Amino acid sequence: MPTIYETVSSTLLWAVVASLLVALPGLTIAYLLARREFFGKKVLSTFTTLPLVLPPTAVGYLLLRLFADDGWLGRERLGFDLDIILSWKAVVIACSIMSFPIFVRTARVAFEEVNPRLERMGRTLGMGRQKVFLSITLPLASRGLIAATLLGFTRALGEFGATIILAGNIPGRTQTLASALFSAQQSGNETLANQLLGVALLVGFIAVYTTERLASKRSLRKEQTG
Amino acid sequence: MKGVKTIFNISLKARFGSLKLDLGYKGSKRVLGVFGVSGAGKTTFLECLAGLRKVMSGQITVAGEIWLDTETSCFVPTEKRHIGFVPQDHLLFPHKNVLGNLEAGKARALQGGRDFQSILKKVVAVLELEPLLDRSIDQLSGGERQRVSLGRALCSGPQLLLLDEPLASLDLRMRKKILPFLIRIKEAFELPIVVVSHNPTELQVLCDEVLILENGRNVMTGSPNELFASDLLLNVAKERGFENVFPGTIIEKSDQVDCLSLSGKNGNICIQIPPTDSLLGDRVLASIGSENVLVGLERPRGLSARNCLSATISRVENAGTRWLVHALVVDAVPEFVVEVTYDAIEALHLESGLRIYLVFKTSSVTTLNG
Repeated sequence: MPTIYETVSSTLLWAVVASLLVALPGLTIAYLLARREFFGKKVLSTFTTLPLVLPPTAVGYLLLRLFADDGWLGRERLGFDLDIILSWKAVVIACSIMSFPIFVRTARVAFEEVNPRLERMGRTLGMGRQKVFLSITLPLASRGLIAATLLGFTRALGEFGATIILAGNIPGRTQTLASALFSAQQSGNETLANQLLGVALLVGFIAVYTTERLASKRSLRKEQTG
Repeated sequence: MKGVKTIFNISLKARFGSLKLDLGYKGSKRVLGVFGVSGAGKTTFLECLAGLRKVMSGQITVAGEIWLDTETSCFVPTEKRHIGFVPQDHLLFPHKNVLGNLEAGKARALQGGRDFQSILKKVVAVLELEPLLDRSIDQLSGGERQRVSLGRALCSGPQLLLLDEPLASLDLRMRKKILPFLIRIKEAFELPIVVVSHNPTELQVLCDEVLILENGRNVMTGSPNELFASDLLLNVAKERGFENVFPGTIIEKSDQVDCLSLSGKNGNICIQIPPTDSLLGDRVLASIGSENVLVGLERPRGLSARNCLSATISRVENAGTRWLVHALVVDAVPEFVVEVTYDAIEALHLESGLRIYLVFKTSSVTTLNG
């Protein structure tokens, strides 16, 4: 049996990897949804939100079908085995998919809050689109983007339904804080369950509190400059 | 006009919502004013010049550079137009301090082969920004923000400065403080400037030529003094009337009054103005409302008004319900415009060539500096 420390540290590691995986495509889609008008925008927006409203087990099952031997990304079609199911990679993929919507939605709001006229001012000062994004949009949206990352991270940290279907609940291999808690409760190990609950509460509190602080600073600054 | 370089050559056709923009202008004057009531399309016009809005057809050439020609599908994007844009709400970057804002256009200034440090030094000196450089934006007053916004545009090494209602967001006291900075910019930087405003006085002070916009079309073009005393403008600017604006130099100071020398081609005249913060020798602008000047056929005696100038009527004109007397002050060049009633014209037999006296109180002179 892995120790609590091992379970918690691997869960944190997987959540970090999942957050990193989400960051770039998430930022791109959030920016496009906030700033551009294009064909199929609403469809894209709906698809990115879908994992938020579906039962996590449904998402897990969908992923299972996708990576199954006869699935779109399965061994038979690809010609080789990605070796996803029941591995740590499955945990990361399930966590990424489940945290994607909350990251994109928060980041989109962060971009939308940046006054587009400030970006236009940047262009009148000779900045190309890329420079405008890097030196105006990104810094002004930074607090919201950090909040998005934290919320996405905590979502990944607490993921259960999709993970357990795609990755299982294998102690020392794919067991996360959430599934370990589930196992402990099911097997009547109250001490372990309580300890895991304590860790979950602590990590969750720190993340949400930090997000709240960032959000209140942001609205304060908006009042001052708005 | 042979030998005179065309600075602006603009023709635009576009539709934005309910506004239809359809105008043409060609001119060689360096500072162009755009006047109109709100909704006339002034800001839209400016944004088209800046490349921030797409037009259906037209062309824009500024100082020999083609920025837009829909016939040849030429469209230079905003960032390549070398403009400095100062919006009415200054739009400073809140995540940078004052210096950071001034340096925002540094890359372009350097690209243009300019010495950024010397531009920055000049801008900081002209706009008196030295004490503000380390401040964050939320520590600045409205007037300071406007100065930083002007500075940011100038530091980027623009070839054209676009000012969108540069004083509109400021209160009257602040306007008086910022206007002299705009005049300084006009004098210190040899740049073509387009100023949009709904305030005739600002345009009279700043511009060499004014374009009047009405429903997206330019209905008149001419020198500001000519236009703003005309029938059309008095109707447009009904609530304001006409302001006589003259540049002058402070030549005497006391606790009670200052004396301002207005210089023209043929000499100087002195007028008394309320005390200012300006020093002896400082140049200030004096503004006297056309409705605040009395006309006398003889030099009045025993009157409290301290200013009495001898003048000759150059013309009397009817501007809708108003009557305007244009008078040339004998000793100097500035032409005064005085608003009178038709009754007064009849009673005094006011007509061109008549010698009159213009009388106004010290307190009806507003100074635009200090």
